[in-house]
Amino acid sequence: MIGMEQAWLIPVYSFAAFVLIAMVGRYLPGKGVYISIIAILAGFVTFWFVLADLFDRSLPDTFGEWHFMLEWFTTGDLTVAWGIVVDPLSVTMLGLVTFVALAVQVYSLAYMKGDSRIDAYFAYHALFAASMLTLVLADNLLLLYVAWELVGLCSYLLIGFWWERRSAAEAAKKAFVTTRIGDVGLLIGILILVTSTGTFDIGEILQRVTDPAPGEELRNAAIWGSAVLIFLGAVGKSAQFPLHVWLPDAMAGPTPVSALIHAATMVVAGVFLVARLFPLFEEVPNVTLLIASVGLLTALMGAGMALVSTDLKRILAYSTMSHLGFMLLALGAGGFTAAIFHLVAHGVAKAMLFLTAGSVMHAMDNETDIRKMGGLRHKMPITTAAFAIGALALAGVPPLSAFFSKDEILLAVQEGLNPVFLVFFLVAALLSALYMARALRLVFFGPLSQETEHAHESPSLMTVPLIVLGLVTLVLGFVALPLGGGFEGIGHFLFVEHVHNFEFHAVWAPVGIVLALGGFVTGWVLYAGPVERVDRIRKRFSPLHQLLVNKFYLDDLYQWGIDQVALRAARIVAVFDRLVVNDGGVNGFGGTVVNAGNRFRYLVTGKLYNYGIGIVIGVIFVALALWTRTL
Amino acid sequence: MTLPAFYIIATVVVMAAAGVVITRNIVYAALFLLVALGGVAGTFVLLFAEFLALVQVLIYGGAIIIVILFAIMLTRQREFHLTTEHRQWPLAAVASVGLFVLLAAAYLSDADTFNTNIRSGISVEELGTALFTTWAVPFEIASLVLLIALIGAIVISRTGDRDEA
Amino acid sequence: MTLLHFEILSAALFCLGLYGVLARRSAVLILMAIELMLNAVNINLVAFAAYGSPEPSTGMVIAIFVITIAAAEVALALGIILRLFRERSSINVDEIDLMRG
Repeated sequence: MIGMEQAWLIPVYSFAAFVLIAMVGRYLPGKGVYISIIAILAGFVTFWFVLADLFDRSLPDTFGEWHFMLEWFTTGDLTVAWGIVVDPLSVTMLGLVTFVALAVQVYSLAYMKGDSRIDAYFAYHALFAASMLTLVLADNLLLLYVAWELVGLCSYLLIGFWWERRSAAEAAKKAFVTTRIGDVGLLIGILILVTSTGTFDIGEILQRVTDPAPGEELRNAAIWGSAVLIFLGAVGKSAQFPLHVWLPDAMAGPTPVSALIHAATMVVAGVFLVARLFPLFEEVPNVTLLIASVGLLTALMGAGMALVSTDLKRILAYSTMSHLGFMLLALGAGGFTAAIFHLVAHGVAKAMLFLTAGSVMHAMDNETDIRKMGGLRHKMPITTAAFAIGALALAGVPPLSAFFSKDEILLAVQEGLNPVFLVFFLVAALLSALYMARALRLVFFGPLSQETEHAHESPSLMTVPLIVLGLVTLVLGFVALPLGGGFEGIGHFLFVEHVHNFEFHAVWAPVGIVLALGGFVTGWVLYAGPVERVDRIRKRFSPLHQLLVNKFYLDDLYQWGIDQVALRAARIVAVFDRLVVNDGGVNGFGGTVVNAGNRFRYLVTGKLYNYGIGIVIGVIFVALALWTRTL
Repeated sequence: MTLPAFYIIATVVVMAAAGVVITRNIVYAALFLLVALGGVAGTFVLLFAEFLALVQVLIYGGAIIIVILFAIMLTRQREFHLTTEHRQWPLAAVASVGLFVLLAAAYLSDADTFNTNIRSGISVEELGTALFTTWAVPFEIASLVLLIALIGAIVISRTGDRDEA
Repeated sequence: MTLLHFEILSAALFCLGLYGVLARRSAVLILMAIELMLNAVNINLVAFAAYGSPEPSTGMVIAIFVITIAAAEVALALGIILRLFRERSSINVDEIDLMRG
C-alpha cells in the first residue's frame, strides 16, 4: 500500500527520468520526452496517496509531521543523512509542484514541438522537478541547500535553453549570478546554525532555537545573523528587492519554463524556506519586520513596473515579483497560513497566465508587445477565458482562489503589523487589479489589430492544461472554508502553533473586494477608452512613469557597480594572476629549472678526467665530513 | 739500521713517481716508472716480504713495463703533443695535495695506535698454503680473469679484415 | 721505522698517481699513473700485514692478487688504447667526449 513512507519516490521518479533521458534520450523515438511526463505523473499520483495517508495518521485538528531518514555518513559530531519530512507544508508543496509541472510538461509537448534539443529540454525539466521536490521534502539543511543549488542550476539551463540568442544567454547568466549573491547568504546562515547546534536536522535546530534545554541556548547573534542571512537567500531566489533584477530578463527563456519555474515553483522556494524555518524567524521580530518591509516594497515596485510595461511576459514577471512580495509580507506579519495559501493559489493562476501568454506568442509568431495585440478573444476563445480567470483571480475578485488568499493576507497584515503596512498593501492590491485589467483589455479585447488577424487557437495539448488550471483556480479558494467530512478548512491544515479559522471580517473583507473589483473596472474602462486619455495621465505623471519604465534605474546602477568596481578589481587580480602566479610562480619555477639545467649542462663535458676530479673532490669532502664528525 | 735504508728507498720511489707524472717525454716516464716499481720492490724487502718483492720485479718490471713500452712505440703520434697536461692540472694538483694532507692528517692523528713491532716475515711455504687453501677460489677466479683479459685484449685490438694481409 | 712511515709513503705515492691520472693527456701516461696507485695500495697492504695483522698471509695474498689483476688490466687497457689509436690516430683523452651534454 502506498503511504507517506513512499513519499521519497516522488523526486526519485523524476531524477531517474532525468538520468534516463540524459543517457539514452536521443536514441529513443520521440526523444524520451514521455519519460519525464510519466515520472511527474507518477509523482502526482503518489502525492494523493501521501496526502491521504497524512490525513489518516493525523489526529483531527492536529497534523503532525513524520520524518523518514537514511543516514549516509558521520564526521565528528555531524551526521549527513537523506531525510524527508512529511507534514502539511511539504505535502502542499508536493501537490503544487507535481500538478503544475505536469501541466507545463504536457503543454511543452506542443509548444516545443520540433525543437532539435527537445530531449535536453525535458531532461532539464525532469531534473528541475526532482530538485524542487527534494527541496520541499528535505528535512535537513544540507539536503535542502543541495536541492536549492540544483534548482538554480536548472533555472540557468532552462532560461538559457536557446543559448544561440544573446539575450537568453545573458539572462541565464544574470539569473545565476544574482541568485548566487543570495545563495552565499543562505550558505553562511546555514553554517551559523549548524555550527551553533551541531546538527543539520531542521527539526532539531528549530527545537534548539525555540525551546532550548538550559545551557544549550544559541547566542542571540547566531539566531539573528542566521535569520537575516537565510532571508537573503530567499531574497535572491524569490526576486525581491534588491535582487529582483534577474526575473524580468529571465523571460527570454521558453514560456513554459517561465510558467513553471518563474511563477509557481522555483521562485517560491524563498517563501517556502522562510515558512519552513518559520519558528526561527519568530524568535527575532526585527527580522520579520524586515521581511515584511522588503516584501511590501517589492510588491509595490513590481506592481508599478507591471503597470507600464508593454511586454506581455514582463508584465506577468513583474506581477509575480509583486505577489511574492505579498507572500513575504504575510510571513513577516505572522500569517503562515495566508502566505502558503497565496503561494499555491498564485502559483496555479500565474502558471496558467504564463501558459496563455505562450499560446498568444505561439499564435502571433512570438510577438510579445501588447501594443500590437488586440481582439484575440475572437480568435482564441479558450485562451481568453483562461487569461480572464487568472487575471480576475490575481486581482482578488471573489469567489476565485486568490481572493481567499489575499483576504487572508489582508487580515494577517492588519493584525500583525503597523497600519502603515496595511495602507500600502491596499495600494498594491489596487495596482495589481489595475495592471491585470490593463493586460486583459489590451491583449484580448478591443478591435483586431493587423498582427492578430492571422492568429488561431492553440492545439489541444496546450489548451487542455489551461482548462484544467483554470478549473482549479475557480474552486481552489474554497479549501479555505470548512467543507465538512472532518476538514475544517485550510487554516486547520497549514498552521503554526494554533489553528486558524477563515474569517470574513466585517470591515476589511468588503474593503478588499471593493478594491479588487473597483481597481479592475477602473483599469478596464481606462484602457478601453481612447488612447489620449491614457496618454494624458502618462504625461502628468511623467517622472514617475520614467522611473517605472526604467525599472528604477536599478539595472543601470548594478551595471555601473559591476563595471567600475567588480571589473576593475577583477582586472587587478587578473594582472596579479598573470604576472605573479603564472609568470613568476608557475613559469618561474619551470624557467628556473630549465635555466639552471642549461648552466649545469656544461659540467657534463664528456671528458673522463673532469669526472675524475669531481669524484676526488667529492671523496675529500666526504672523508673530511666523516672524520670531523668523529672527532 | 733499516731506517736510513727506508728513507733512501722512499726518496727514490717518490722522486721516480714524481718523474712519471711530471716529465714531458713519454719514454722517460716509462723508465721512471720502472725505477719506481723497483723501489717498491725494495720496500717489500724492508717489510720482510721477499717473495712479494720478487714477484713485483718479475711481473711489473719484466712484463708490464715491456708492454707499456710496446704501446708507446705503437701509438707514436706525429708530433708528440706540445703539452702532456691539460688545463685542469692545477686543480688536479690541488686535489691530490689535498687528499694527501687529509690522509696524512688522519694517519698522524691515529699514530699512537699503530703497532711498532714488525714481524719477521712469513715463509714462502706458509704463503703458498694460504694461497691454495683459504684463497683457493679467488686464485681460480684470478686465473680466469687473466684468461679473459688475454682474450679480450686480442679481440679488441685485432683488425677486422683478415684478407688484407 | 714504524707503520706510520710506510703509510705516509703509500699515501704520497697514491696521491702522485692520482695527480697523474687527473692531469695527463695521453692515455698511456694515465695508465702508468694508475700503476703507481696500485703499487701504493700494495705497499699499504703489505705494511699492515707486517705490522700486527693477526693473519699476515692475508695482506700478502691480496697484494699478489692486486698484482695479478693489474697485469690483466694493463693488457686490456693497452688493447683498448691500440684500438683507439687505430680509429683516431691520437690517444689524447681530451678528444674523447662523445658523451658530453
